[in-house]
Amino acid sequence: MSHSLTQSLTTPLMGAIHRPDSDRPLPLEPVTCCVCGSDDAEPLAVGEDFEYRTSPDTFLAVQCRCCGLVYLNPRPAMTTLDRIYPLDYHAFDFSAERYGLIYRVRQRLEAKRLLSACQRLGPGARLLDVGCGDGFHLKLLRQFGRSDWQLEGVDMSDRAVALGRQQGLKLHQGTIQAVDLPAHQYDLAFMIATLEHVDDPAEVIQAVRRLLKPGGELVIVTDNTDTWDFRLFGHRHWGGYHFPRHWNLFNANTVGRLAMETDLEVVKIQTIVSPVNWVYSIHNYLVDWNAASWLVKQFSLESTLSLGFFTLFDQVFQAFGHGALLRVTLRRPFEN
Amino acid sequence: MSPTKPIAIIGGGPAGLTAAAFLQRHKVPFVLYEAGPKVAGLATSFHDDDGFTYDFGAHFINNRLAAALGVGAQCRTVKYYGESVHLNGKSYGYPLGLLQSPRYVLSGISSRLNPRIHKRQFRSAATWFRASYGSALANEVALPLLEAWSGVPAAELSAAVGSEKLQNSIAQTLKFRNIGRMTGRAVACGYSHEIPENSHMWHVYPDGGVGLLCRKIAEGLESQIRLSSPVEAVWVDNNQVQAVQVNGQELPVSGVISTAPCHILSRMMRGTDRLAALAQFRYRPMMFINLRLKGRGLLKDTVVWLPGKDFTTFRVTETPISMPWLAPVGKTLITVDIGCEKGDDLWSMDDEALGESCLKDLEPLIPDIRQRYQGCRVLRASCAYPVYLNTYEDVRQRWRQTTGVEGLYTVGRNGEFSHALMEDVYWRTQRKLRGILPSNRVMSESPGATPV
Ligand SMILES: Cc1cc2nc3c(=O)[nH]c(=O)nc-3n(C[C@H](O)[C@H](O)[C@H](O)COP(=O)(O)OP(=O)(O)OC[C@H]3O[C@@H](n4cnc5c(N)ncnc54)[C@H](O)[C@@H]3O)c2cc1C
Ligand SMILES: [Zn+2]
Repeated sequence: MSHSLTQSLTTPLMGAIHRPDSDRPLPLEPVTCCVCGSDDAEPLAVGEDFEYRTSPDTFLAVQCRCCGLVYLNPRPAMTTLDRIYPLDYHAFDFSAERYGLIYRVRQRLEAKRLLSACQRLGPGARLLDVGCGDGFHLKLLRQFGRSDWQLEGVDMSDRAVALGRQQGLKLHQGTIQAVDLPAHQYDLAFMIATLEHVDDPAEVIQAVRRLLKPGGELVIVTDNTDTWDFRLFGHRHWGGYHFPRHWNLFNANTVGRLAMETDLEVVKIQTIVSPVNWVYSIHNYLVDWNAASWLVKQFSLESTLSLGFFTLFDQVFQAFGHGALLRVTLRRPFEN
Repeated sequence: MSPTKPIAIIGGGPAGLTAAAFLQRHKVPFVLYEAGPKVAGLATSFHDDDGFTYDFGAHFINNRLAAALGVGAQCRTVKYYGESVHLNGKSYGYPLGLLQSPRYVLSGISSRLNPRIHKRQFRSAATWFRASYGSALANEVALPLLEAWSGVPAAELSAAVGSEKLQNSIAQTLKFRNIGRMTGRAVACGYSHEIPENSHMWHVYPDGGVGLLCRKIAEGLESQIRLSSPVEAVWVDNNQVQAVQVNGQELPVSGVISTAPCHILSRMMRGTDRLAALAQFRYRPMMFINLRLKGRGLLKDTVVWLPGKDFTTFRVTETPISMPWLAPVGKTLITVDIGCEKGDDLWSMDDEALGESCLKDLEPLIPDIRQRYQGCRVLRASCAYPVYLNTYEDVRQRWRQTTGVEGLYTVGRNGEFSHALMEDVYWRTQRKLRGILPSNRVMSESPGATPV
């Protein structure tokens, strides 16, 4: 169900898409903190599906008073995934032609980032992208990485998987807990813009852990709540909420705790630059205030100008350790 | 708390139901006893055949509570909410209008400039309001309202009446009002104290009335709710709750969570006198006379405060100004709040006579009100507002923390003897219960990670 790091590279034109069930409320379920189990949480923000308008619901983001995790509570039931990830969802609807220059720039940037995680991989290494969508990152690895690497991906969406397979990628359809993959075989796994979407992050990480060789690494990239965009927009419009699709949102602290719970060693926690949450925060703000659509469009991910500007802008924050995304490298310990 | 015997929850209003849902989520056995034939307590709406909807006073909830309960999609946004004060034949918008009167501004500013105000201990509500609002505003507006509402002189009321409730600065009120005007959403201001308010919280109204909230919380709890089952007594032994008595039957329990008014709870206690002091706590009974009228927008604002001594009521509310759907097209509803004492002349007056007296009362505001009048419906709440008398302020403060009896807990507006509105009741009840549960129970449900 997840999408790629090129998160939200498109948004449907406002009002252009007709959803026959968009006025039917979703079944919502109460949850507790997936990191520490507490249900003691401070309400932070009420939001709506500002981007896709898949339902008439309002959603509550809360912050765990025990560990600081930000999560959606109540959140849509698992049976609603088909609705909250509509067919025009950007992760399913991605092509080079449509985005031209931005696509190519981001591609380069992503490739560089991905490869920096692969430095210690030897020949024939096995890599797995969990929540790979249609295989955006795998294609980059194929293009820019070593030719003898064995690349595989897992995603829940059968459409995305079918698309990726057409391009010759080895993709498995299903959840990481359910797919039948060999234990202790993989050198490196990626979870890029995936963790925030899954219902049970600890269970998913454990499933990935099982597949890793001892000493194998898991690289997680996810939205960072320890940022200025969160502080500024966290009362409603923050892009990282991505209402109602981001169920758990982390900072260095909570992701570290999750690693501990799942018996993985923290190799490194860094933040990286991304303009996406800045641009989307402003986008949501404008949508919520019924701004003119020409203005809203200046803050979409099709706008080179705002993406460029906020990439530079976020660089300043990243320099102080508060970049928009968290990048966490975890390792499966050797003993056990 | 023993896991075998259930906890008894007294009352099926917002507080009791929130407690029940909390215990259910934490897998603690409980039974909820509600005296009336249905749940919701004061958070209820009534509909009549002519298309009018009447609430028990509780008209306003915000989008945050709706989202927390998962009923946001079933709520409509309230676009406008406003209050004004009618004084000596003139209307002043609140708070800006009042501030245009130089006397009130000057008195307000000079009191604010007094550096000692934040450190002072106030002997009564009267001194608090004078210090915070200035003498002119306090004497002519705030204190007369307070006295009409509570039925006692402001000098006998605790300063907490103001300081616990009215924390919002005028600047914040104005900011929220303005944002509300710009966004077409009635930004809620002064409705929540448990969790900070912000400009992204506005009033919403549930389809079909405020009863929706309680029906939603009660979903999945049905088998543990006993309707028409007033709890008659709570048995205590060795300062530990043992049982409750319902319909003459004694039922062993491991604890009691009460939302009943605390002076009534005090009288229900058997085997302890720890709650004796609460028997004197006063609640102000209130009557809500709903006048059905032809026309719309008859009042200057949704809520109009009437501090003048010439009025029987202290507050009138035209809900359709904010929620047009509460009355049929071309008609409106004005709710007249009258504080009284149970059994006094007003309380026992029949509905028609009450309607008649309200018409007379409101003629200065709406001269042609008689031609518009189409009958009324009266709701009576015998425990509408806790009255914070200075004489029992210490007991009240202690009561908010603990009942003094093992296994006996209180939540909710009347249970805690507080002026809480529904959102605060919702968060506060959960916070309190979290403190009660043995921590190992919470921990045992943490998603314990089992490494492979
Ligand atoms: C005039 C007025 C206006 C208000 N306006 C608003 C508003 O605009 N917005 C807002 O959010 N809130 C408002 N409120 C507050 C809101 O109504 C209360 O916060 C809320 O109803 C409190 O819920 P509760 O469960 O504590 O009590 P209640 O709603 O009073 O419920 C208590 C329940 O306990 C039952 N009970 C009592 N004794 C026993 C017994 N011995 N055995 C079994 N059952 C028993 C009663 O039958 C009742 O059902 C208003 C209140 C009043 C009085
Ligand atoms: Zn937590």
